[in-house]
Amino acid sequence: MMMNKSFKADGFLLFDGGMGTMLQAVGLSMGELPESCNIKNPDMILNIHKAYIAAGADVITTNTFGANRHKLKDSGCSVDEVIRNGVRIAKEAAGDKLVAHDIGPIGQLMEPYGTLSFQDAYDTFKEQVIAGASAGADLILIETMSDIYEAKAAILAAKENSNLPVICTMTFQEDGRTLTGSDPMTMVNIISNLGVDALGVNCSLGPEDIIPLLARILEYSPVPVIVQPNAGLPTLIDGKTVFDIGPEIFGQYMADMAAMGAVILGGCCGTTPEHIKAIRKAISGLKPVRPEVKKVTAVSSATTTVVLGEEVKIIGERINPTGKKKLKEALINNDMDYLLREAVAQRDAGAHILDVNVGLPEIDEKAIMVKAVKELQSIVNLPLQLDSVRPEVVEAAARVCSGRPIINSVNGEVKIMEAIFPIAKKYGCLVVALTLDEKGIPEKAEDRLKIAGRIVRKAEEYGIDREAIIVDCLVLTASAQQKEVKETIKAVALIKEKLGLKTTLGVSNVSFGLPDRELLNRTFLAMALTAGLDAPILNPMAEAMVKTVKAYNVLWNIDREARDYIRSCSLSGDRPVVKEKEGSRDLKKIIIDGMKEEAAPMVRQLLTELDGMKIVDGYLIPALDIVGQKYESGEIFLPQLIQAAETVKKAFEAIKENMLQNAGEISRAYKGKIVIATVKGDIHDIGKNIVRILLENYGFEVYDLGRDVQIERVVEKVREEKAALVGLSALMTTTVKSMEETIKALRQHCPDCKVVVGGAVLNEDYARMIGADYYARDAREAVQIARKFYRCE
Amino acid sequence: MHIDRKEALRYMGYRGQKMDGSLQSLLDTCIDEVMDISKESFIYEIFDIERREEGLCLKGTTLILQGEDIRRHLSKAGKCAVMAVTLGLEADKRISFYSRTDLTKGLIFDACATAAAEALCDIVQEEIEAKAKVMGLKTTKRYSPGYGDFSIDIQKEIARVLKTYEKIGLAVNECSIMIPRKSVTAVIGMQTEGCSTKSHECGSCKDKDCMFRKDGNDDE
Repeated sequence: MMMNKSFKADGFLLFDGGMGTMLQAVGLSMGELPESCNIKNPDMILNIHKAYIAAGADVITTNTFGANRHKLKDSGCSVDEVIRNGVRIAKEAAGDKLVAHDIGPIGQLMEPYGTLSFQDAYDTFKEQVIAGASAGADLILIETMSDIYEAKAAILAAKENSNLPVICTMTFQEDGRTLTGSDPMTMVNIISNLGVDALGVNCSLGPEDIIPLLARILEYSPVPVIVQPNAGLPTLIDGKTVFDIGPEIFGQYMADMAAMGAVILGGCCGTTPEHIKAIRKAISGLKPVRPEVKKVTAVSSATTTVVLGEEVKIIGERINPTGKKKLKEALINNDMDYLLREAVAQRDAGAHILDVNVGLPEIDEKAIMVKAVKELQSIVNLPLQLDSVRPEVVEAAARVCSGRPIINSVNGEVKIMEAIFPIAKKYGCLVVALTLDEKGIPEKAEDRLKIAGRIVRKAEEYGIDREAIIVDCLVLTASAQQKEVKETIKAVALIKEKLGLKTTLGVSNVSFGLPDRELLNRTFLAMALTAGLDAPILNPMAEAMVKTVKAYNVLWNIDREARDYIRSCSLSGDRPVVKEKEGSRDLKKIIIDGMKEEAAPMVRQLLTELDGMKIVDGYLIPALDIVGQKYESGEIFLPQLIQAAETVKKAFEAIKENMLQNAGEISRAYKGKIVIATVKGDIHDIGKNIVRILLENYGFEVYDLGRDVQIERVVEKVREEKAALVGLSALMTTTVKSMEETIKALRQHCPDCKVVVGGAVLNEDYARMIGADYYARDAREAVQIARKFYRCE
Repeated sequence: MHIDRKEALRYMGYRGQKMDGSLQSLLDTCIDEVMDISKESFIYEIFDIERREEGLCLKGTTLILQGEDIRRHLSKAGKCAVMAVTLGLEADKRISFYSRTDLTKGLIFDACATAAAEALCDIVQEEIEAKAKVMGLKTTKRYSPGYGDFSIDIQKEIARVLKTYEKIGLAVNECSIMIPRKSVTAVIGMQTEGCSTKSHECGSCKDKDCMFRKDGNDDE
């Protein structure tokens, strides 16, 4: 690759400076697309390139920063023609210099914040990459990224659709993080492992503020580091944006950064050919420095990096349906809220990483895994461990994961390694290596070590560093294979000693089939930790286990002065004591007062004498009616209505739980199916969530498709469930259009279903105009419509 | 930035109902939490207005403000400030989480964040007023896309002109919805004459049934 040739040379690689700044100086209006100049005014662009080459740049960057289908949508120019012309102009100026195809952010926020999906982002970048590569660019510069997820989509698009070298830079804010919260180390851990040829920082603040960020990047980056700062901070003088750092000082800063270890240098906003010339001059006597890089086993979410080996890290095991009835049910029903609550509870209990396993024969594991990963990373900032035996599930999950995950797992079987390692390499994942093979789990620690060694060698064949391998020496149960329990402990120690690898263990297997499992589990955990276990997989809700880890951290001199230990002990002492329930409290009153926590215990008590349906009809519905009347008369306001509704929900759940034990009975509780969604393009969902909870309260079986829901998805679900009623929500005039289209599609494909609509900008007439059957002014009215529709009253 | 408790309550449709202690304290918790996690940022620019047939063109930009109402609002203004503010993504993240796990809190948090965004607008407006004063000008109240016939579609163009995504991380999607959600764009006229403050007060709105309407009964 050309780039590598340049890197190996003893010189630096000098990029050009700002393009936008130069264009604004020659009169580009605010809001005008700078990329349109590639077609309207190519000479102007050519001259800017030439000026940078004259100033000493080795690489010039095409004027294609915003040339993506989203930004060009209303411009009348196509992505292909803008990029093709951009590359052509740059090549004309370049001579023997390199041309970097510039790709900036799409300018839309990605899911889960915005409505741009990972796939859409990928397709957008793919179109750009293909245009740039076919026009003859020498390399791809993905720059000024502020969302690591978007950067990942761009890198994948670049690598899957061209053979060009890829450089990626991100921009950081005052708090040292990108817009979506990535810190420099996290960025390096994710991006370098996606296989970029160089990475670094650009734009951000002034050069002075970049220095600490750069230092952090240099500490960990295994690939060459690029830095392209702004010419200081912009100030408005006489209506013109002026940057406060002139060429000479800028050059000095850049020389300092070169001395730190940056090898690719250039400028961003506000920099001019003069700035580039100044860099060239300032570094003329310097030689590139390659700083010592720390090799770590680090797993990342988009915003947090967890390093294994420093102190004990807990991998939460609870997102796994094996033996968990409620989770199983939630997965079958596509109920992600349950999963999220489990995740948050584990985080709060002290988990550092979450294992995610959704393998159930009765579900589409791949689809649910992708959904679970997306949902989890939108709510919980912990790194994930993707746990599946199916390579296609692992790959789909690794692709949409916004961080650097762990894959759980490979073992010594060649076939499995050959299926998983290419995925791990491509997406930069860490991998759990089980010390077993075709012949099963070896009895002796030495044989487990041999398998681990084989796995590492095979990984290295795929270009995967040994730091990416986390060995699981496998725990056997003391009740069945007592004499082998200590072999596991020995194996942990051996693997640490001989291979220097990080280790993990699913601790709680050890006690299976014996009484007082917790005692065995925590004793075994303490033994394994002492042998060098880095990341136990356990249930963080089991307090004794988490406490054992904390105690170990004190005894092993990791938790200095026992600070963390003392703090956690004092915290657990503060825990509020749950008050004794008054037996005489009435369930209706509990609901009306919205005492959420008291509902389930009261229902359970009632269930000893009453049938679940009797509780629904005799307590829940009458209480809800009272609450509804109070709301309508203005005696209570919305949060109070919702509090009561949430209380009913808790009561309902307790009843359902009871019914689950008597299968078949549950369907009797439902009054009818309703599919609800916030329409495509719209992301407002509080109103829809309120409707959902009230409908559920009244016993409807609600399928909530979420927000920004594609039209086809609504149609598909209505068909699948044969739902007779659909509720659609839209909050903006602009998204009522999607609502209308959704209704049209429903009419065509599901002519029998009726549609009720709601949302701030709608009214009766408007609703009729877009073809809805019913208009609900608020959530209460939606319930009344549903009850009438299903003849509940 | 200070979140006005009354304003937050108004966004929840509050009309002086009796609240128990736990609801009160939940409200206080939400106010504190919103203050804590918000990453307030804003940007504004001041432009000369050029009146053309197609609308009010802002000089040196591609922005054309269209609609009867904005034309009336800026009828005496020679310049205007175009502003954008946002609380950042964390507020969205929390609202989405709470509205799925604790809807009551989600609802209250959402209202507090809305009040916070408005409070941030007030701060920016003050800064713009101060700038205007230096220029010897008075300002109108702020007028946002979505008021009257001032279409929210203009938000895409405002974002482009102010470079809101690059500068404050504010994007506008295909449906003209701003993300992060707790964001506001607005236009403030700058003129030599003082202006009536009544033109777009809450009470002058045509939607008499709006649950957020201020009607003087919103005492706690």
